[in-house]
Amino acid sequence: MSSKKIQFDVIVVGAGLAGSTAAAVAARNGLNTAVIERGQQPGGKNFFGGAVYTHALQEIYPDLWDRNPPLERPVTETGFWFMSKDGMVKATVQGGKLNNDPIDAYVALRARFDSWWADQAKSEGAFIIPKTLVEEFIYQDGKVVGVKTDRPQGDVYAPVVIICEGVNNLLTQKLGLIDHDIRPAATALGVKQLISLPAETINARLGLPSNEHGLAISVMGDVSMGMAGLGFLYTAEKAISLGVGVTLEALRKSGVKPYELLQRYLNHPAVAPLIEGGQLMEYGAHLIPEGGWKEMPRLYTDGVMVAGDAATMVNALHWEGTNMAIIAGQQAGLTAVEAHRQGDFSSKTLSAYQAGLKERFVMKDLYQYRNLSRFLDSHPEFMDIYPTFLNDALGMFFSGFGKPKKRLYKDILRTLTSRRPLLKVVGDLVSFGRTIIGI
Amino acid sequence: MLHALVGIKQVPDTTNIRIDPETGSLIRQGVPTIINPYDAHAVAAAVEWKRKLGGKITVITMGPPAAVSALQECIEMGADKGILVSDRKFSGADTLATSYVLAEAIKKIHEEDPIDLIFFGKQAIDGDTAQVGPGVAVRLGYPLITYAVNIREVNLEEGYALIERKTELRNEIIKTTLPAAMTCEKEIAEIPYAALPDLIASLRYKPQVWTADEPVAYDIAQIGLKGSPTMVFKTGTPVQHEPGELIKAAGTSLDKAVDLVLNKIMEHASGAPLIGGKK
Repeated sequence: MSSKKIQFDVIVVGAGLAGSTAAAVAARNGLNTAVIERGQQPGGKNFFGGAVYTHALQEIYPDLWDRNPPLERPVTETGFWFMSKDGMVKATVQGGKLNNDPIDAYVALRARFDSWWADQAKSEGAFIIPKTLVEEFIYQDGKVVGVKTDRPQGDVYAPVVIICEGVNNLLTQKLGLIDHDIRPAATALGVKQLISLPAETINARLGLPSNEHGLAISVMGDVSMGMAGLGFLYTAEKAISLGVGVTLEALRKSGVKPYELLQRYLNHPAVAPLIEGGQLMEYGAHLIPEGGWKEMPRLYTDGVMVAGDAATMVNALHWEGTNMAIIAGQQAGLTAVEAHRQGDFSSKTLSAYQAGLKERFVMKDLYQYRNLSRFLDSHPEFMDIYPTFLNDALGMFFSGFGKPKKRLYKDILRTLTSRRPLLKVVGDLVSFGRTIIGI
Repeated sequence: MLHALVGIKQVPDTTNIRIDPETGSLIRQGVPTIINPYDAHAVAAAVEWKRKLGGKITVITMGPPAAVSALQECIEMGADKGILVSDRKFSGADTLATSYVLAEAIKKIHEEDPIDLIFFGKQAIDGDTAQVGPGVAVRLGYPLITYAVNIREVNLEEGYALIERKTELRNEIIKTTLPAAMTCEKEIAEIPYAALPDLIASLRYKPQVWTADEPVAYDIAQIGLKGSPTMVFKTGTPVQHEPGELIKAAGTSLDKAVDLVLNKIMEHASGAPLIGGKK
């Protein structure tokens, strides 16, 4: 084969949501764009059963609905389930402010969705190179001018590289944009099962009126066995996705095996009947970078930008991440276009990427929640005492018949104060509030 | 110079496949398609011999337009030309109709550029029939070597090849005249890891598309559903049998062990199944 230099205007590493978005935006604006993906096909290395957000999808493709996106069910009911050892308090919302057109969130199965999302980038003119791993950068005068892949004659050149390599951000580390490997306390391991059931069964068991209705639930409490983390439940069209995410640090300390954690959740008396008779379709685990702002690498340097999971763009409380990745990819793509217009790829020009994100919810939210990951790590009572109390309190309230109510309230209060002094409870709530508001 | 032809099929990635419990059919939606793994090894073997002898490789497949990606994978591995035989009129074809279509196309290729060796995978992982390769060979009147594991020699001057094939008991080495056809096991060759320029070129490659009318005018009665006498009445997942019973005889005397086994046989004779499972 010829030894001609392989040259593009921009290289995107990774065909996930951030990568395919960056590539679509760059290609749409006339840049010769390559996406290098290590998986057999885009989405091939992904494992996720959650939601994508229509605001972000439509921002990239205003004609989204004509493109026939492979979405599962819209999220028409969402909220928290508070789990005790053998009970569940469900606080979910449906209708009302969720009744938007289109619905804000849709459940997606990412292997399928990412492959489609990459096809959209292709339709904008991006060139996707699968089955190829980027291992190193090519430098010239100290600046990145391309990447080295694991293939023979595998050098690819471009004046700007957008790294969307995912949570395991080895390239980002190699560039020195962050000075340490992913931190176990700031990284969750999500374990998940996708269980297939007939759509009608899902509808009947979860009280959904039709296949055009779906559930997205965060589960708090006994599901994480006192560790910092949450459980989740999402409804695909003909499957339910259930999983638990807890920090690596907590897992290591507890010695609990991830599959035990998941199995315990699936065996819970309020969960098991939902999936009874279902067929296991997928089982697996994936890291989630929940460190947010505090763990964020530098987002750009000469000739390079970083977006998506690689840049810890995840909001652990709202389960936002897909939309952040898309908007960050968009900003990175636009910045690459602007850099080409100016003919300057220095960090000075690329700083527009970070400035753009600061104007958007991406950086605003990550900054506001900057202490959340540490807060949850140091306040296990939110995973343990409080959800259980909620179950006990409501259970006692609705079963205390024939008892003087004054005594009932005292009893209820005692189930809490026997485990956590009232003053501490107030303190916990205040500091939770401060963490959320971000002060 | 060698002219090798490889017949391939694009299949759903069965490591990902599920059976719809309601209908008993494959859930193809969202399942990625791949080149049939045995076919990929067949291509790799052709590439190895092209490197040794010089020449070229033509790859052919019959399938929907999406099968282009399987042909591109062959180009990536080192094939030179891809032909996609694709037409709505071919849909619903069984192995008989498929081998007719491929054989006629191969005859056409052979007329313009004589073929020395035809490679197939031993079977496709979705249908597992192992019929199309042999069907094509018979229609062409070529000698056929099935379950090939090693090509020992290809001698174009003298017009023969030595091919090792697997049987249940032992391997056989067959000396065949050329042109010949073979169906390949995975051992036949390792799949090469392409250089990046080759991968990029393959992703940009557009194979030729042949229809039911051009350049071969097919007999409409022999293609598609009409040309397919096979009828599928029902499909489903096979019932899983319980594993056989293991009789522990270590430490027992020979007589006792014989008794144990005899008892089992007598039980079976009286109606109980010999091997675990429902009768």
